[in-house]
Amino acid sequence: MKKWLLIPVAMLVLFFLYRQHQIASPVIRIGVLHSLTGTMAGSEAPLVDAVRLAVEEANQSGGIRGAKIEMIVSDCRSDANYCAAQAEKLISRNKVDALFGCWTSACRKAVKGVVEKHHHLLFYPLQYEGFEQSPDIFYTGAVPNQQIIPMAAWAMQTRGRRAYLIGSDYIFPHVANQVVRKLLFAQGGEVAGERYLPLGSQDFDQVAREIASVHPDFVLNTLNGDSNRHFFLALRKAGINARDIPVFSSSIAEAELASMEPGLMAGHYAAWNYFESVKSAENRAFVENFQRRFGMNRVLDDPMEAAYIGVHLWVNAMREADSSNISAIKAELDKQAMNAPEGIVAVDADTHHLWKMVRIGRIRPDGQFDIVWQSGRSIGPRPYPFFISRADRERIESEYK
Amino acid sequence: MKIFTRLLLLFLLLSVLPLALLGYLNLQQDKARLRADALARVSALADKKTMQVRSFLAERERNVRFLAQSPSAIAGFERLSRTYPATSAEEEALMRQYFERYIKESTVFYDVFMITPKGDVIFTQKHEADFATNLLTGPWRSTQLAEAFRDASMTLEPVFSRQEIYPPSNSAALFIAAPIMKDGRFVGVLAMQLSNALFFKVASDAVGLGQSGEVVFGRKEGEYMVMATPLRYLVDGKEVLKLKLTESKNMPLYAAIFAQSGESVKKDYRGVQVVSAWRYLPELDWGMAVKMDEDEVFASISQERTVTFELVLVLLVLSGILAYYFARQISAPLESLAKTADEMAKGSLDQRADESAFGELGVFAKAFNRMAVNLQGIYETLEDRIEERTQELNASNAKLHEEIAARRVAEEEIRNLAFYDVLTGLPNRRLLMDRLGLALALSQRNRQFGAVLFLDMDNFKTLNDTLGHDYGDLMLIEVSERIKSCVRDADTVSRLGGDEFVVLLEDLDVHEQQALEKVVLIAEKIREILSRPYLLSGREHHSSPSIGVSMYFGHETPIDALLKHADMAMYEAKAAGKNTVRFFDPAMQKAVEKHAALERDLRLAISAGQLRLYYQMQVGGDRKPHGAEALVRWVNPERGMVLPGEFIPLAEDSSLIVELGGWVLDAACRQLSVWQGHEPTRNLTISVNVSAQQFKLPDFAERVADLLKAHRVEGSGLKLELTESVVLSDAAEVAGVVEKMRALKALGVRLALDDFGTGYSSLAYLKLLPLDQIKIDRSFLRHIATDSNDAVMVKTIIDLAKNFNLEVIAEGVETEEQLAFLMRFGCRVYQGDLFGKPEPIEAIEESLGLA
Repeated sequence: MKKWLLIPVAMLVLFFLYRQHQIASPVIRIGVLHSLTGTMAGSEAPLVDAVRLAVEEANQSGGIRGAKIEMIVSDCRSDANYCAAQAEKLISRNKVDALFGCWTSACRKAVKGVVEKHHHLLFYPLQYEGFEQSPDIFYTGAVPNQQIIPMAAWAMQTRGRRAYLIGSDYIFPHVANQVVRKLLFAQGGEVAGERYLPLGSQDFDQVAREIASVHPDFVLNTLNGDSNRHFFLALRKAGINARDIPVFSSSIAEAELASMEPGLMAGHYAAWNYFESVKSAENRAFVENFQRRFGMNRVLDDPMEAAYIGVHLWVNAMREADSSNISAIKAELDKQAMNAPEGIVAVDADTHHLWKMVRIGRIRPDGQFDIVWQSGRSIGPRPYPFFISRADRERIESEYK
Repeated sequence: MKIFTRLLLLFLLLSVLPLALLGYLNLQQDKARLRADALARVSALADKKTMQVRSFLAERERNVRFLAQSPSAIAGFERLSRTYPATSAEEEALMRQYFERYIKESTVFYDVFMITPKGDVIFTQKHEADFATNLLTGPWRSTQLAEAFRDASMTLEPVFSRQEIYPPSNSAALFIAAPIMKDGRFVGVLAMQLSNALFFKVASDAVGLGQSGEVVFGRKEGEYMVMATPLRYLVDGKEVLKLKLTESKNMPLYAAIFAQSGESVKKDYRGVQVVSAWRYLPELDWGMAVKMDEDEVFASISQERTVTFELVLVLLVLSGILAYYFARQISAPLESLAKTADEMAKGSLDQRADESAFGELGVFAKAFNRMAVNLQGIYETLEDRIEERTQELNASNAKLHEEIAARRVAEEEIRNLAFYDVLTGLPNRRLLMDRLGLALALSQRNRQFGAVLFLDMDNFKTLNDTLGHDYGDLMLIEVSERIKSCVRDADTVSRLGGDEFVVLLEDLDVHEQQALEKVVLIAEKIREILSRPYLLSGREHHSSPSIGVSMYFGHETPIDALLKHADMAMYEAKAAGKNTVRFFDPAMQKAVEKHAALERDLRLAISAGQLRLYYQMQVGGDRKPHGAEALVRWVNPERGMVLPGEFIPLAEDSSLIVELGGWVLDAACRQLSVWQGHEPTRNLTISVNVSAQQFKLPDFAERVADLLKAHRVEGSGLKLELTESVVLSDAAEVAGVVEKMRALKALGVRLALDDFGTGYSSLAYLKLLPLDQIKIDRSFLRHIATDSNDAVMVKTIIDLAKNFNLEVIAEGVETEEQLAFLMRFGCRVYQGDLFGKPEPIEAIEESLGLA
C-alpha cells in the first residue's frame, strides 16, 4: 500500500463515521396493555404476540424513518383500574407514542379516560357493543353491524324467526342483545327466551333445560370466557345438538376452541371478521410468519388479527406523517387502508372504526372454521345502528355509561 | 503525446470538467427537488380529492337516510305498497313531486326506488324497465340494485352498491339503499341512483394538476382492473378500460385498489411516465390515482438543461482558445529548439536557435547556441583529418583489387587446361576418371546400374591423313556435339584423345535387365546418329562409330578395368565389321541377343495364335461368382508356357503392347458375348488389364466401343483395370484422362483402379476419377494377419473406398485367415487362389456349369 493513499482513506472513514453519527436516531416506544395474569390472561396474552410480530415486521422493513420501535408491555392483571394506572404511567413516564391494548369494554372505558385526558392514542382490537367513539381511540375490531347483526340476520334467514338469547352479565351482552332485540323486532322475529349469568358461571343445566323446552330456531350466545365450555357441555347433556338448535356465538374464536375438548362445539356457528382459515395470499403469509416466530402449534384468531392490523396502520401513519406529533399521526391514520389478512380494511375517518370484512363460520371438529357466509366487500362501521332510534340510543348510552 | 497537446488537454480538463460536473449536479438536484415538490403537491391533491369524494358520498348517504326517515316518504310508501300491484296515478304523482327537487333541482340523483321487503319495486321516479319488477325473482335480481336492496334489508343499514353498468338505465350506476322503518319495524327499502354527470364531475375534477393532470378511479373485478370513471385520454378509442391485473401491476391505480396509498413516478394506463399519488376509497371499494405527466413537471428542467449545455459549450471554446495560446508559448520555442538540434544532428552545424523565448526557455536557447559554436569548431578540424586518411586507404584498395582480378583469370585458365579438352571443350581423361570414381561410389550407394561406352570413329585416320588435321578437328567437334545430343545433361561425354570418346551413363536402373535395355537403346541411338553423313566445310563425309559397352554396378569393377573392358569391347565391335555396338560381358551380349529373339517371337505369337486367355474368378462373400479377371498366357511351341512377367514388360518397351492389349480386349469381349448369351453367366463381368500405352491411344474409347459393338456385348459386362501409373502418369493430362474415362463410362464400361495402395494413391485423384471399383494390391494381404501396419492399411483403404462410395475388391486372397480379416474390415468381393487359380476358359465354364 502506498503511503499517500492513507490520507484520503482516513478522511473517508472519518466522513462516514460523522455521517453515521448524524443518522443515529432515538427509538420510538409503544405501550402494550394486556392482562398477562388473572382471568383474562389466557385470552389476552396471544395479542401481545400479534403486536410483537407486527412490530418486528415493521422494524425489519426499516422501522420508522430509520428508528426502531420498542415495545413496553404492561400487565393489566385483569383489572380495569390497574390498567388505567398503567396507561397513565406509559404515557407520562415512558413517553410512548401510542398504546395498544385492552380486551373488555370495562378496561377500554377505564383507559379511555386516561387517553382522552392526555389527547393520546389507543388502538383497541376487540369486537364490542358500539355506541362509542373517541378522537383518541382507533377501534380495529367489529361493531355490532359488522358481527352480531349480520349473524342474527343470517340465522333468521337460514333457521327461522325464534331466537333464544344467552349472555354473560356485563356491558357487552346487554347492549348487544338490546340491538339484537330491535333487529328481531324489525324483521318480524321473536325472542323465545333471554338469560344472563354472572361472568365465570359454570352451571347451565337449568338454561339448557329451558332451551330444550322452548325449542327456539337458534340460540344467540354472548357468553364470555370459560362459561362457554360449561354451557355447551350442558347443552350436550340436555340432548341438544347443533343440527337441531344451532348456537351462534360472538366470543368463541380459534384460541378458545384450541383450549377446549375437540368436537364439543362442532357444527355450531360463530361470526368474526377474520378466521385463520381465510384463503388469501396475505393471510397465508400472516399465518406462516406468526407460526414461524411463535411456534407451529399456535393458532390465530380475530382479536389477534385486529391487534396486528392496528400496529401496521399506526406504523404506516407514522411513516407518512411529517412529524411524530400525535395529532398529525391521527390525521394520517384517518387516511389509512391496508390489504390485511382478513381482506381490505380502511379507517373510517368519521368514527375511527374500520371498514371490515364480515364472515360467519361453522365450527369444525379440529377447532377451525368452515366459512359459510362472507360479505362481498368490507362493511362500513356503524357504532350507532341506523335502526336504533335516537331515543333508544340515548337510553342505552346513559344506561351503560 | 506532444507537450502542446498535453498542456491543451490539461488546461481544458481543469477548467471545463468541474464546470460541467457542477452543472450536471445542479441539474440533478433541481430535478430531484422538482420531483419531490411535484410528488408532495400531487399527494396533497390526492388527500384533498379523497376528502372531496368521501364527503360527497357521505352527503348523498345522508340525503338517502333523511328521505328514508321522512314521514312523507314513509306515508307515501305505505299507501303505494298497500295497493300494489294496482297503482294509483295520483299517489305516484305525489311521490314524484316529493322527490323531484332531489332529481331535477340538484341533479344529484338520477332515479328513486321504493321496494317492499319482498322485493317488489313499487315506485320509481323514471319508470324505467325496472319498475314493477321483483328484485328477488325478477329479471334484475343480479344487478347491483338488487344486491344493495338485499344488504340493506338484512343489516338494516344504509349501503352503497357497486358501480357498474345497470341495464335498465343502460349506463353505469351507483345506488344508495336505506331501510324504511315504521314504528321499529322494517317495512321497505328506499334506493336512490346517483347522477353520473355530477358524480363524475366531482370525482374527475383535475384543478391544480396542470395541463396533463387527471384523476382516475378503478375497481377490482375478478382478474381485471376496471376504470370506473370516464378517462381523459382514450386508449384504442375505448371509454371503459378493462386491464388485466397482471398487466397493470406497475400502475398507480393497481396499488390503490389493493388499499395502498403512496406517491411516486410511475407509468399510467397509457404507458406515459406520470407523477402520481394513489389512495383507496372504502365507500366504493375503489382505487384513486391523481397524476400529471412527468414531461410537464420537468418542462422547466429541459430548458435549464439546454442553457447549461450551451454555457458549458461556450466556456469550452473560450478556454480552448486561451489554452491554445498558453500551450503555444511553451511548445513553440521548444519545437524550434528541437528542429535546430535535429538540423545540427543532420550536419548543418551553422544552425542557431531563436533566443527570444521567455524565461528559462530563452536561457536554454542561449546555452544551446554556445554549445553549437563549440561543436562546429571541433567538427571542422576532425573532418580535414578524415579526408586525408580516406584518400590513403582508397589508393591501396584499388591496387589490391587489380591483383585479385589477375589472379582469378590465371586460376580459371589453369583449371580449364587441366580438366577440359581444348578442341571440343569436353571433359578430358582426368575429369572423366574423377567423375567415374564418383559415379561408382554413387552406384554403390543407390544400387543403380551404370555403363561406360567406349567410342571410336571408323576410318578417322584416313580422313586426317587425306584432308588434313583441320578437317579432322571439325569432324571431332561435330561428333562431340552429336553425342551430347543423345544423352542426358547429367551424363558425361568426354574425349580421351584422337577420335576416342567415352560416354559415362549413370543411374540407369536398379534392375540389370532394364539397365541393359536402356544402354542398348542409347548406344544404338548414338551409333545411328554418328553414322549420318557429316558436312565439313561444304564437303560431305561418311563415317560410323564402333561402340564398346561395359556395365558397372558399385565397386564390383575397378575404374581402370572398366575403361579397359569398354575399350576391348570397342575393338570387338570394330572386328565385327564396324558401325556396331558390342558388350564386354559375353553373358550380357547373349542376354541382349535373347531379348531380341523373344521380341521377334512375341511379334509372331499374336498372329500365330499362340496367345490364350486364362480367367481367375472374382467372388462375393457368399462365394458366388461376380466375374473373372482375364489374364493373358503365351504358349510358344519351342519355349513352352511363357509367363506374363517375362513378356509383358518386353511388349511394353516396344509398341507391341498396344497390339497385345487389343487382342486381349477382343478375346475378352468375345468370351463376354458367349456369357451374356447364357442365363447363369449373364451378369458376370470380365476384368481386363489396360496398359498405359494402350490407354494413351487417342481413339482408345472408340476402339472399345467398336469392339463392344462388333461382339454385341453390353458394356456393363466389361471392366477395365487401370493401374495408377496409367491414369496418373502425367498430372497435366488429368483432364484428358478423366474425359476419356467418362467416355468409357458412357459406354457402360466399368472402371477399376488396380494395385491400389502401391502408388501415390492420392485422395484428390480418387475424388476426381470416375471409378467404380478399387482393387487392393495383393502385397497388403500377404501379411495382413501378422503385420498390424498392413491390416491398418487394408482397413483404411476399405473405409476410404466406402467414403467415396466405391466397390472394393481384394486380390491374392489365399487363406481363410486373410478372408476373415477382409470380411471383418468390410471388403465384400474377393479374388485369389482360395477361390480358384487362373484357369483356361474350359475349366472355368465347367465350374460355372456352362459346359
